[in-house]
Amino acid sequence: MRSLRLAARLARGNLRRRPAQALLLLLALTIATGVLGVAASVYGSADAPWDRVWRATRGFHVSLGVYHPPDEPGNRAFVQELRRRAARLATAPGVVGAGGPWTHLYGSIAVPGGEEDLTAEIRDPGPYAVDQPLVTSGRWLGEGGGVVLESGLAATLDVGPGDTVTIQGRPVPVRGVASTVSRGRFPLSRPAQVWVTSETARQLRDLGMTEEGFELQLRLADPGDAAGFVAAHRSLEATDPSSSVISYLETWQQRRADSHSDIDILAGTLFAAGGLIAILTVATAAVLIAGRMATQVRQVGTLKAVGVTPRQIVLVLLVEHLAIAAGATLLGLGIGRLLAPRVAETSVTVLGTPEPPPLTWGRVAIVAAVAFTVVLLGTIRPALRGIRQSTLRSLVAGPRPPRRPGRLGRLAASLGLPLPGVLGLRSGWRRPGRLLVNAAGLLLGVAMIVVALALRDSLDLLSLRPAEPGHAASDAAVAVLYDQIRAVIFATAGLLLALATINAIIVATFAARDAARNHAVLRAVGATPRQTVIALVVSQLGACAVAVVVGIPLGLGLWSLMEGGDLPEVGVSTSSLLLVAVAVPVAFAAIVSVPARLLARHPVAPLLTYE
Amino acid sequence: MSAVVEARGLVRRYLADGSSIRAVDGVDLVVEAGETVSVMGPSGCGKSTLLHLLGGLERPDAGELRLGGRRVDGFSETAWAVFRRRNVGFVFQAFHLVDELTAVENVELPALLLGVSRRAARRRAMDLLERLAVAGRAGQLPDRLSGGERQRVAVARALVNEPLVVLADEPTGNLDSRATGEILKLFAELRQAGQALLIVTHDARVASTADRLLRMRDGAIVAQTRLGSGASAAGILAGLADLGGEG
Repeated sequence: MRSLRLAARLARGNLRRRPAQALLLLLALTIATGVLGVAASVYGSADAPWDRVWRATRGFHVSLGVYHPPDEPGNRAFVQELRRRAARLATAPGVVGAGGPWTHLYGSIAVPGGEEDLTAEIRDPGPYAVDQPLVTSGRWLGEGGGVVLESGLAATLDVGPGDTVTIQGRPVPVRGVASTVSRGRFPLSRPAQVWVTSETARQLRDLGMTEEGFELQLRLADPGDAAGFVAAHRSLEATDPSSSVISYLETWQQRRADSHSDIDILAGTLFAAGGLIAILTVATAAVLIAGRMATQVRQVGTLKAVGVTPRQIVLVLLVEHLAIAAGATLLGLGIGRLLAPRVAETSVTVLGTPEPPPLTWGRVAIVAAVAFTVVLLGTIRPALRGIRQSTLRSLVAGPRPPRRPGRLGRLAASLGLPLPGVLGLRSGWRRPGRLLVNAAGLLLGVAMIVVALALRDSLDLLSLRPAEPGHAASDAAVAVLYDQIRAVIFATAGLLLALATINAIIVATFAARDAARNHAVLRAVGATPRQTVIALVVSQLGACAVAVVVGIPLGLGLWSLMEGGDLPEVGVSTSSLLLVAVAVPVAFAAIVSVPARLLARHPVAPLLTYE
Repeated sequence: MSAVVEARGLVRRYLADGSSIRAVDGVDLVVEAGETVSVMGPSGCGKSTLLHLLGGLERPDAGELRLGGRRVDGFSETAWAVFRRRNVGFVFQAFHLVDELTAVENVELPALLLGVSRRAARRRAMDLLERLAVAGRAGQLPDRLSGGERQRVAVARALVNEPLVVLADEPTGNLDSRATGEILKLFAELRQAGQALLIVTHDARVASTADRLLRMRDGAIVAQTRLGSGASAAGILAGLADLGGEG
């Protein structure tokens, strides 16, 4: 306990003495926890609105769907047999209510840009024991004909009661608009859906709509046992080998999980982005903590000299950085709660207004675990080094002088490279750990840029591709979803580069500090400030070279894993890759030159006495 | 003889505990070509700061400075660096060798910066190291050299471009008598070649080899002694005793 109090006191002192470094670490961690916080709050934000509509419409617990391709009448006898079995299922033990079976007609509806596949569900005016669609405007089915549109379809067409829609090429009046959970929301869930009476259905059949199946919806005495009920009646899912008829059972939980694919994909992308950023934050934390240790090395030496044990020194480091991790966790969760609704409201599948799910301990734990793991991984190496280093060595600050002349520098000299470049290469590998961490950070950023460029090219191609027949609006909606994912990936690439920039600035600042005396000596013997700046930039360019050489193939590899599905396959153009290969080192050089320029402004003499 | 160093009213102030301290307080100094000047005084009297001001490593707060007839006190950092390459050689008390460069690379560095070819720079550097008896250690990094060896490498580096003026801060502080003799012999050759030499030292034997001895206290030159062939170490030590010891 006394150790912990001592550690807390020393940690508080350290944080107060070096607030800028602590804030930088907090910022880097908060970028990761913030993205994860948004992901944690976006994931599941469509569930509460879905549940509300499900309750209000007396939504199903188990659904039996039967489908046969509209252009193949299928095996009529088999479909009739399925109808008989569906009727028996409606009275099976455990069933307390049934809706349907409702027959589905297949056809098409005019949408902006072309035609969209359409299902017209035939209903009597009701009311129904199960799935009473929630009318949001206009009237439900009844006298006078017309159709009721599923709310997503009405929003896509921007029509309401009193308007007309074109079904099978004929104008049909819209009676009302309604929401249901028996279908996902159009356009990401297709085909589009309308409800019609038997009378209207007869007219639509005359216009060429054909029967494509039916749906039976059941409510159970024990909704929690929906999966058990489905398992017990799995024989209904049998298909007839001589026809294309498909029958399937589905629980309400499965339908809810499938109903908001765009939210899930967005949350998944954000989780992946948060994970990548967290990996890079380990690099930032390692560099920063190692840098803090370097500045505190004399203090560590003093503490060891007066009898503080290595364990207590590690405790100080841990307390100091875990406090920062705790702060980043709180900030990340707060940012998540704040931004998640804005991200989720872009969804086209949510039944109403999205609601971030309650902040459960599980969700908090995910964000906190990332922040604390990052800090622990970043602290281990510097802490162990601080412990292992002899007390005497700790009392002498400054980097350890090299023991062997650098081969790279010799090679550069023999090749006749300019002197500042040779000097830079000589000192480039003095801190190989920092260089590798810097390289790792940069290469993740470079890889994400390559992925973002490939995705951009692929989406450009997707936008040029004509929609598939009957998918004019839904294909456009998929393109919008990919646009959102592209925005997330570009934002991630930006954040990764921002973190890589922070890393580069930190590493360059520490490198400038390490090189201060040597560069002052160089200036004392005639090197200009510009030459010392070049030497420092060259000493750091190794990290950038590694990042470009490894990051570009890594990005292409990641992209090849992402390709497929709706995305057209594209290769990133050579000119784009060349641009990355040139722009990244140029930007990096500009960034790392800043601390070197600041150092070069100082007169030489004070730097020579700086140790 | 022409003046190589001309300083008029040089002032350098530092802020310490909120008050201004004059580390160099109105120094007037002229050093002729081929002249050797020793500077002695207690620790903290401003000897090293004066050397830094004369070599442009620090900026004076007031006063005027000419080197080789050129007004240099208004030079930018870059202009100073370029000027130093050819005209100023420094020997630091703490050696200040570049860690990553071997002994010979440290010595040839100013020559390379001046634009001398690699081969010629290496030849000059090796020649100097041989004369200072450290050629055998030419390929070693500073970390592997003894204090005396580092000091000789630092001296060789200061001389490699045959500058107008060499500013040396305790150039023999870590050397035994034999090595000190080698360095002083080299300095004597500089004098003959017309190069000016300003040596800050606590060693009366080294000071006695100069043409002139300056004594500093509290940032100011308080006494000057022109040392002819008759000057002796004993006389210099007596002078230092008058100043209250040399710290």
